[in-house]
Amino acid sequence: MRTARQNWWAAGLLAPSVGLIGVFVLIPIVLTLWLSLHRWSTATPFGDAEWVGLRNFDALFSSALVGRDFRQALRNTFVYAGLSIALLIPLSILFGVIVHRAAVRGTTFLRTVLFATYCVPMIAVAIVWSKLYSPTEGPVNQALGWFGIGPQPWLSDTGTALISLVFLNVWQQLGYFTVLVVAGLTQIPPSVYEAAALDGARNVKLLFKITLPLLRRTLLFCVVIALINAIQVFEPVATITQGGPVGSTNVLTYHIRQVGIERSQGGLASAMAVTLLLALMAVVTLVFALMRKGDDR
Amino acid sequence: MTRRVSITRRAALLSFMLIACVITAFPILWMVATAFKSSDEALQTPPVWVPGHPTTDAFSAVNDVIDIPRSFINSLLIAGLTTTGILLTSLLAGYVFAKYRFRGKNALFAVLIGTMFLPPIVTLIPLFRIVTQLGWDASLVGVIVPNLANAFGIFLMRQFIAGVPDELIEAARLDGASELRIVFRIVAPNVLPALAALAMFAFVYHWNSYLWPLTVLQGNEQASPIVISLARLLTYTGSAANTPQVMAGATLAVLPPLILFVILQRFFVNTMSRAGMTG
Repeated sequence: MRTARQNWWAAGLLAPSVGLIGVFVLIPIVLTLWLSLHRWSTATPFGDAEWVGLRNFDALFSSALVGRDFRQALRNTFVYAGLSIALLIPLSILFGVIVHRAAVRGTTFLRTVLFATYCVPMIAVAIVWSKLYSPTEGPVNQALGWFGIGPQPWLSDTGTALISLVFLNVWQQLGYFTVLVVAGLTQIPPSVYEAAALDGARNVKLLFKITLPLLRRTLLFCVVIALINAIQVFEPVATITQGGPVGSTNVLTYHIRQVGIERSQGGLASAMAVTLLLALMAVVTLVFALMRKGDDR
Repeated sequence: MTRRVSITRRAALLSFMLIACVITAFPILWMVATAFKSSDEALQTPPVWVPGHPTTDAFSAVNDVIDIPRSFINSLLIAGLTTTGILLTSLLAGYVFAKYRFRGKNALFAVLIGTMFLPPIVTLIPLFRIVTQLGWDASLVGVIVPNLANAFGIFLMRQFIAGVPDELIEAARLDGASELRIVFRIVAPNVLPALAALAMFAFVYHWNSYLWPLTVLQGNEQASPIVISLARLLTYTGSAANTPQVMAGATLAVLPPLILFVILQRFFVNTMSRAGMTG
């Protein structure tokens, strides 16, 4: 096909997606950056924005209430993400290894059950878990009682509310990450294991010396995706805890929406969004750097 | 891979898997069980695990609080139209990125793929304003149109279309087929499993999606998809006595994505596994 004709086709076939992503994703990114330097009410046109330089960012890192609330939400978001990753990655390796080995019947069924939770709307998950966690008539405390563990306050206490939301997240996402780990495991040639087995390596040693190092790329991908998913936590906070008690579950997606949509402080909320984006990029860069360091060794 | 496993290890593994299944399935089973309880049973301490006298009262009561049929139609419109759009735009763009060569292609692809990793909250506020300026706020149009194309779909399609032999496409071109005809008659049939997986992924994602419709549809309850009606059901029925109603609503909302998953899971799991790794 001649180049000119080919270019016209390329442009035509790309136009719908590039146009849509351009208008509804790329332009909004630029606008978020621009708005973060302005005082602007979300209820007014973009043209009404008033230049304030870095004053929004000053407010976010000041000792004023605006700053303290934001920094608490930022901290909560990364604690939530960190705890989610710390639970999700080891569990998905465990389940991934079991499902992959398929030495007994029933692993496909386990995979189906695990993955099914991923399809349940988060709002339904949040509603169901809020009832499961109910301190009096909830089954979770009831079940703990069988093992001699006293009732826990779960969502109603500042010390346990955030971790309660982490459990709910882990429950929903474990199947997805298990599937990713299984996919990574299928790419490790069986000959690697056979060679190691001849050298007398046993199960646990195999896992740490062979499986995990060869799975590093997969795990890196999992960590990054788990982090980005965790930042999106919204439904349980918006419908069940409203950020409470005392701000202990106030996370950024909820907080930025509160400020930018409910209170119409679009400029301030954009500064929060930019800070989140920069923090996220810093953490992802750090994760990659740590992985590369691991490669050199 | 089959290996010889001793009886004890096999038993240990089986019981571990059984426990894992029970714990994982428990919240869903409890939701369904509670939907069939009476108010009295829902209030009992210790909790009633299996309803003694199953009743469908809760299901009929839900419709008095929220408009279930209307919410389902709205959800179907949002998820169905968005999915159709994503399939079309991803197929076309995926074809170009897999089979065309032009200057700046890789840079453009990198920019598009970068948006895949963007948390939606980063663009929520200007996006809401853009949709409002376009006059689409409080309408389903505003919920659907911004999501008609996405980077994940383009990425997935490019991965799979790259595997379609160039000879097939060249032969069709020599026969005088137009590029559109090639996409729909040659390329699409060759990547059907990936299309099925993408359809399922998009439908489930947009059936479940909450933040964006909540933001766009403020003040228009008529347009609420089921997930937003469900949140309203929870607020209107605060007391624990109404738990069966809330669970009945949740059970109804969960059914479509879950049924779709059970039907298409084979494609989904395979495709996710193959595409995830090249990322």
